Amino acid sequence: MLLHGRLSELCIFLQAMFVFACCFSDIESGPIATSGSVQPNGDRFKLEGRAIVPGVKTQDWISSARVTVEGEEYIGFMRTDGSFVVNDVPSGSYVVEVISPGYKFEAVRVDITSKGKMRARLVNFIKTSEVIRQPYPLQLRSSGPHTYFMKRETWGWTDFLMNPMVLMMVLPLLIIVLLPKVVNTNDPEMRKEMEQSMNMLNPNPELPDVSEFMTKLFSGSKSSSNKAVGGSKASGRPAVKRR
Amino acid sequence: MSKPTSLFVIFFSLFIMSEAVFEDQVGKFDWRQQYVGKTLFAHFDSHSQSSNKLFLATDKNIFASFNSRTGDLLWRHVDKVGPEGTIDILVLHGQDALMVVGGGRLLRSWDTNMGGLNWEAVLDTGSFQAACFVAIQDTVKHVAVLKKAAISLHYLTNGHQKWVENLPDSDTVQYQAVYSGGEVEVYVLGVVPNSHLTIIAYSLEDGEIIKSVEAPWLSSVESSCVVIGQGVLMCVDPATLALYTLPIQAEEAPQFNQILLQSLDLEVSLGFQPVLVSSQPHPARSPISEFFLQLGPDHHVLLQLNADGYTIAALRDFQPAFLVSFATTGEKTVAVVMTPKNETACDINLFSADSGRRLLDTTVIFPLDLNGGKPFKLYVHAFLKKDDSVDYRVLVQTQDHALTFIQQPGRVVWTREEALADVVTMEMVDLPLTGTQAELEGEFGKKADGLFPMVLKRLSSQVILLQAWLAHLWKLFYEARKPHGQVKNEVTIETLSRDEFNLQKMMVMVTASGKCWSRQSLFIFVWSQLFGIDSKSGSILWKHYLENVQPNAVFKLIVQRTTAHFPHPPQCTLLIKDKDTGLASLHVFNPIFGRKSHIAPPALPRPILQSLLLPVIDQDYAKVLLLVDDQYKVTAFPSTKNVLQQLQEMASSIFFYLIRSDQGNLSGFRLRKDLSTERIWEVVLPTEVQKIVAVNGKRPNEHVHSQGRVMGDRSVLYKYLNPNLLAVVTESTDAHPERAFVGVFLVDGVTGRIIHEAVQRKARGPVHFVHSENWVVYEYWNTKSRRNEFSVLELFEGTELYNSTVFSSLDRPHLPQVLQQTYIFPSPITTMEATLTEKGITSRHLLVGLPSGAILSLPKMFLDPRRPEVVTEHSREENLIPYAPEMPIRTEWFINYNQTVARVKGIYTAPSGLESTCLVVAYGLDIYQTRVYPSKQFDVLKDDYDYVLISSVLFALFFATMISKRLAQVKLLNRAWR
Repeated sequence: MLLHGRLSELCIFLQAMFVFACCFSDIESGPIATSGSVQPNGDRFKLEGRAIVPGVKTQDWISSARVTVEGEEYIGFMRTDGSFVVNDVPSGSYVVEVISPGYKFEAVRVDITSKGKMRARLVNFIKTSEVIRQPYPLQLRSSGPHTYFMKRETWGWTDFLMNPMVLMMVLPLLIIVLLPKVVNTNDPEMRKEMEQSMNMLNPNPELPDVSEFMTKLFSGSKSSSNKAVGGSKASGRPAVKRR
Repeated sequence: MSKPTSLFVIFFSLFIMSEAVFEDQVGKFDWRQQYVGKTLFAHFDSHSQSSNKLFLATDKNIFASFNSRTGDLLWRHVDKVGPEGTIDILVLHGQDALMVVGGGRLLRSWDTNMGGLNWEAVLDTGSFQAACFVAIQDTVKHVAVLKKAAISLHYLTNGHQKWVENLPDSDTVQYQAVYSGGEVEVYVLGVVPNSHLTIIAYSLEDGEIIKSVEAPWLSSVESSCVVIGQGVLMCVDPATLALYTLPIQAEEAPQFNQILLQSLDLEVSLGFQPVLVSSQPHPARSPISEFFLQLGPDHHVLLQLNADGYTIAALRDFQPAFLVSFATTGEKTVAVVMTPKNETACDINLFSADSGRRLLDTTVIFPLDLNGGKPFKLYVHAFLKKDDSVDYRVLVQTQDHALTFIQQPGRVVWTREEALADVVTMEMVDLPLTGTQAELEGEFGKKADGLFPMVLKRLSSQVILLQAWLAHLWKLFYEARKPHGQVKNEVTIETLSRDEFNLQKMMVMVTASGKCWSRQSLFIFVWSQLFGIDSKSGSILWKHYLENVQPNAVFKLIVQRTTAHFPHPPQCTLLIKDKDTGLASLHVFNPIFGRKSHIAPPALPRPILQSLLLPVIDQDYAKVLLLVDDQYKVTAFPSTKNVLQQLQEMASSIFFYLIRSDQGNLSGFRLRKDLSTERIWEVVLPTEVQKIVAVNGKRPNEHVHSQGRVMGDRSVLYKYLNPNLLAVVTESTDAHPERAFVGVFLVDGVTGRIIHEAVQRKARGPVHFVHSENWVVYEYWNTKSRRNEFSVLELFEGTELYNSTVFSSLDRPHLPQVLQQTYIFPSPITTMEATLTEKGITSRHLLVGLPSGAILSLPKMFLDPRRPEVVTEHSREENLIPYAPEMPIRTEWFINYNQTVARVKGIYTAPSGLESTCLVVAYGLDIYQTRVYPSKQFDVLKDDYDYVLISSVLFALFFATMISKRLAQVKLLNRAWR
């Protein structure tokens, strides 16, 4: 019973969502803009918001910033306190952006119904109908300065030493040089112990050493290939003679 | 699925970082020049005595602040293009600048100190007429805005409306001026032409009094009346040659008082409309009682209204005088008069306004540029010196929109060529070789001189080189001894020469035709300007003033002969065509020096439809330009006998196309031997459905290095490289978002065959596109999803080439394979261009101008229709990036970092002598020049190349070998002893 109640609640909620979506759907497909002609202010609305750059005084960035609505369709300027108003915007759906050469701001999509109801949501170009609500009047917070530049690769000793190639070369060298000095090899007991440990590492003494095997293989293949070359030469010569 | 792909894309995009700028490269290869356009209103900051700010409002809808000492831009606010952003008026009061925008749409108040907005108020509809400050008891608290049918009063502090009043009889009375003299009333002056004048007084606390004055001679308050003294309206009537005065504030029915000019011994030049100039230094006080009356193009008189308010005294006669102006500092008002001195200079003098006496030691000399315009307007910044005398600086606006700031005694502090805010087309021309370089080149040119003379020549050229080098060293040494500040690297035309890698070029820029209405001669000047700019430093080396260029002219700049053909000078031709009539004229000039060529261009009596530059050259190495008129007759330039003969031989292989976008008609023509033409093909795109927006071929100087692409399975996919291919873009006439579409047609320009046709449904323009190699990239607006999309078309012949030696449009039986892919672009764009390099080996990038002013360098790799949805072995081997619907925009790819270029109109790319390097110029409101390296700098050492490290390692190794050799010797010796 309880479950049923929940379900019906959910249904109502979904219905409400649907109605809500319908409210906005009329503007989704509506014409975008009727630019050029100046209409009476009745069906034009104003878009409000505020932009903040944390840790930077407003006078340091507002003179170079501006607000663009759908490219340069409508333009607004920053007030001295960082707030902005874009006047004379007809109903429709717009991407609102604060453009500043110094600081990064996220764009926001603002939907305006024909009655002047406003709604702000995240911009999603792939799922265009997805609604993730944002506060309206817009609150835009800069996520810091733009990164225009690449870092130069600088040469430092630490970079050089931490290079894996260098590490691979230097560490064995250290082991070769330092180990004999640390461990006294002249001690017969120690030597015995080491021999034992070497045997432990190499459990099957009959198995040929890898390096030995490799050298054998290469020298063998070389000789065989030499032979093969020789053979072809040998076979080539009679052919020449035959001609 | 999507997450791994996106990760993959990020991984790839991290890899492709070739385009980023390093921080230490800022300003090394690039420069930016910021412009604002033609000045409409200019004000000096009079708020504080020491301030050196200058505020300009321009015809490009820009409000800008400059440092008047240096001419540098402090800040600039760029409003919307078009009538919605026009600045109707700019007035300054204290720290606030008030502006009426968009024909009376908005009232804005700016904080001039911070460069931010104080407030913005929406005004009621109605076209703007005038505005003025209203003061009560010496404090300015309100601003009055007069519209066609209403007047409103706003508070200065927050823009709120105090009251608004409808004006009576606004359909018959033309209200043109509003006046406030510091009292409690605001006066609105309206006129019924040739009938009577209406004066309405509004008290600040509401209430109106209407007065009507008979004035059958008056047709416009705006152009023939000013307010002077204690609220006296002064009008001039050219018909009766008389001045009329009228006290506005009079209680009873006032009457105009007529003063004949003859009674003042003044005479108006024949056919000249006299003009009055007055000044109101402070909005809280009444205007000064002195005024200028202009009687002829260069004849001004300073007059004074006597205290009785009826009689006028002539203070001083200025003849000749080009320009006059008033300036006020503190309590003193001075008259500034510009008089011609000689052909190359003008004198500017100060006169005391109340007596007409000349102030001593106030002469400033303004240099007149013969290649520029005449002075047009004076803006004077007067200030008091310590000894209480008046000093001043002058901003002179000339007819070519240039601004010159002059200080006493005639030092030009700075100049701004504001015509460059509207560049329409440009070209880059190689600089000429120097004498020594030419000498060296010449050595290899001639042959068969015998061994001995060749050796001699070689030795002599080596000696010349040595000499040049020594001279260079000596110069360096000499300059090093001088103090640092004095050394100036002035670029002049004479010292210009090509550098080693041909990275420095001459930029030839054509500005849009400007219009200037001159009061002096009642004549509208229409002109355009040519500029020659050094691409390395951005300094203007020459400029040329072209007169009588119609305002709707279109330009085409053609390089007919490059600098490569010494001793023939390089030759450029500018085709100027009137858009309406189609009548054209040619301007032939030398692009290095800007001088007009002595070669006479052909007369073009008929409208020109098309122009084409042939690869055919005449005996003077100039390429031949063909001009097709409306009767399909062809004119050749140059048209020597040699050229005509060559044309006759080649006629059957010369084709050209014509577009008539109003008829939706695209047709192809062939040249006949008698220089007439025959139509070969015609493509009609019905205009009821769609209209042709743009047609673009490929750039003639483009090289394609690789004929095909090697695929993952080692087979080759050959590109379809048709040099005659045209990309035709159409837009639907139906603007409904459900039915709108954008069409792209690829048409062979010789045969008229439609190679491919792509239609993007639910899309509308503006379409930006680039056509190059075997691809077309276009951008449009998706009306359904409300986003911008990029689409790329690539044409391939397949795995086999039909005829690998030569391409002929007439013999290509197979249609190419066409691949297409579309991506989402998360920003609108303003313009687009592709990089271009010398041999086409370097990978291509697209340069995309964004509305934010950034120029994005997008690797063509991202716009590849073969990007796979599923990654396979082959695609990985081909280095194909997996498909992702959204295109990334990374700020590291902005080639102009924070040097934004406002309203980018065009991007020009030119190859340099280095294969890796492409020169880029972006122009719009600003001009930005830089170099890009699409595949990094693979052919030169990077500028961060660590010479110190390399040489220290080399030396260290050298010494290590020396030391180890020595040690080994010692060891051997020791061993031998043992």
